[in-house]
Amino acid sequence: MMTRRQKRITEDVIVSVIAIVLGLIIIFPIIYAVLGAFKTSHEFLNPKLLPNSFKYLKNFQDALRKGNLIRYSVNSFVIALIGTTVRLVFSILAAYAFAYYDWKGKQICFFLVLGTMMIPGDILLITNYITVSRMHILNTYLACMITSFVSGSQMFMLRQRFMSIPKDMREAAQIDGYGDLYYIARILVPISKPVLTTLFVQSFINIWNAYLWPLIVTAGKANMRTIMVGITKLNSWESENYELVLAGVCISLIPSLILFIIMRRNMRKGGMEGALVG
Amino acid sequence: MKKTLAIVLAVLLIVTSFVSCNKKAATTTTATAAPAEVKPVLGSEPVKLIFWHSGAENDGVAIDNLVKKFNETNQYQITVEPVFQGQYADSLAVMMSMSAAGNYEELPDIMQIATGGISGFYDCEKAFSVDDAIAYFGEDIKSNYLTGALGTWVYKGEQMALPFATSTTITYYNKDLLKKAGWDHCPDTFADIIKLAADMKKAGITATVYQDVPTTSTIAPWLGQLGSYVMNGKNGTEEDGIKLECIDNGAMKTFLTEWKAMSDAGALVSGSPQKNDFYAGNVALITGTNSGVTDFIDKIGGKFELGTSTFFRVNDKASYGATPQGSALCMFDHDSDVRKAAVWEFIKFLTNAESQAEFGAATGYTPAAVGATDLPIYQEYLATHPQQAIVSEQLAKTPADMRGCSPHSVINADFYFGIQNAVKDFLSKGLSVDEGVKLVNDTLQPLLDQVALLVD
Repeated sequence: MMTRRQKRITEDVIVSVIAIVLGLIIIFPIIYAVLGAFKTSHEFLNPKLLPNSFKYLKNFQDALRKGNLIRYSVNSFVIALIGTTVRLVFSILAAYAFAYYDWKGKQICFFLVLGTMMIPGDILLITNYITVSRMHILNTYLACMITSFVSGSQMFMLRQRFMSIPKDMREAAQIDGYGDLYYIARILVPISKPVLTTLFVQSFINIWNAYLWPLIVTAGKANMRTIMVGITKLNSWESENYELVLAGVCISLIPSLILFIIMRRNMRKGGMEGALVG
Repeated sequence: MKKTLAIVLAVLLIVTSFVSCNKKAATTTTATAAPAEVKPVLGSEPVKLIFWHSGAENDGVAIDNLVKKFNETNQYQITVEPVFQGQYADSLAVMMSMSAAGNYEELPDIMQIATGGISGFYDCEKAFSVDDAIAYFGEDIKSNYLTGALGTWVYKGEQMALPFATSTTITYYNKDLLKKAGWDHCPDTFADIIKLAADMKKAGITATVYQDVPTTSTIAPWLGQLGSYVMNGKNGTEEDGIKLECIDNGAMKTFLTEWKAMSDAGALVSGSPQKNDFYAGNVALITGTNSGVTDFIDKIGGKFELGTSTFFRVNDKASYGATPQGSALCMFDHDSDVRKAAVWEFIKFLTNAESQAEFGAATGYTPAAVGATDLPIYQEYLATHPQQAIVSEQLAKTPADMRGCSPHSVINADFYFGIQNAVKDFLSKGLSVDEGVKLVNDTLQPLLDQVALLVD
């Protein structure tokens, strides 16, 4: 007969083993990409997982040169950073309105916002392109990021978060003479930091990884390309140099990883808060 | 996979909205009255051209080098900006988005296009075909190119583009493995492959003899060797392909009979060719584009001696050959005489014998310009890559009227996979040849029926 302590330890061990296995499955493609990026083309054909040497950096040098990845990384970074920031600002303001104000047609507006989440992005490709083209902003950073300025899903998630915060706090702020913007900036945003951090990272990675939209709206200017287009440039039809593509992928992972490392503590809190709210 | 699916979906969406604005149905803006003199206009003002290409890796470097050379040497103040547009399908999606949006000023001046995109280009209202240009400038340059390579870029009887990165399907073989089996040459026909399989078995060689499944690129030459096209209109190059031709004339039956015989004899593994297995010495024969020779040599890394031969023949009654494929350069009309003339200068530069020889030596593509292979730069390349010598022989043996298969871009991807799946199922389900022919017909004809509905 197992004691309660033994039972708990057994459960912990089983859960830990499952978590480690799942974690390894999830992280394995990244490990494979990193290891593959250090292999020569001959080594790559070998089923051995580890490269002969981690000093073999030619793939990275070639990827940077042939894919023009430095310039394209800068483009992607600017687009992802500004796009994410503006998206969050709009989402916070819209979510605040949905969470705290009552007005005629609010429910219809909210359902319209939810409705946008159900439309696949590819359907909007041509109409968005026509809009951007008529605004005469093709081949600019703005063209790449403008469609990411508004996100229905982020508005929805932030609205749910704001609704979980007692209304009394806003009333207290109002009694102290503070308006909506002050309340948002000084109270709502700081206490929603974990959720906002999670949304920031998620949004940054989504915009960073975008391919088709930046490809279309920067078609006329070579130096406006983004990093994902640069990685495609490494993938030739005739010569399948996967090690080169993997080196490009590793380079493209760096900003997302740095962002994740910086913000991981807040993201973990966000996950836990989400669990409590749920 | 997700990205590819998204691109395919996007292309389909665009094409369905785009197909109605057929170039020939719309007003013809090109090839009208030729200006009295174009040359004096050219050079009177600076012209900037946009060149969309899909040259990745070494191809991209070679393209950039050629453009740089043109920018530095041309006498007409022409500056070309090369812009990488992703893979051919991506590039086509972008072009079609712009056309569907009527945003013609954003279209490039020149674009690199693969065979799958030729119908999409034809449908673009601003397409400026080679025939249009020849009529406009009064300068027929067609005789500067190999007939077969030029023929690949004819659509509905019109020369739409000029061959740029030309390749053809050849056979690669492991000379060492074949020597062990007592063979000093590559098999020529499917029946020869069966004989090789028997000899390899006798010699105790366990390597796979041949692994393949027909695709749009390979079924067209195999049926072409038998004197047939896959579909009407010379494989869709003279008119929209809406009917399978190879069913009624028995060519598909002949092909499947020989294909099944290879499989039954254990000489064929039905499935996409696995280059990595070939590089590792586990497969004796593989078919592939000749532009991949350098990659084959690099990846094999001296493990065995690499041989090349002409594309397999279906049987000993079949003719030799395989259609030239690859990509071509097409032009867009921006309603400016000087810009049009600049585009014409640039496209002639990229496709002339010197540029083609330089590009071929840098990338492995076969020069499509007459005389390019005789130039020293390409001769030096041939000396270090003797496997490429077979290509000239193959192109010379290929019948002039053999055409690659160009299904309409709406069904291009489905057609490509449809052939593979039907032939694979034919073998894996143990169907008779007649049932196999019916399966191919039932898989592909409905796709062509979709095109018939669209063109109606």
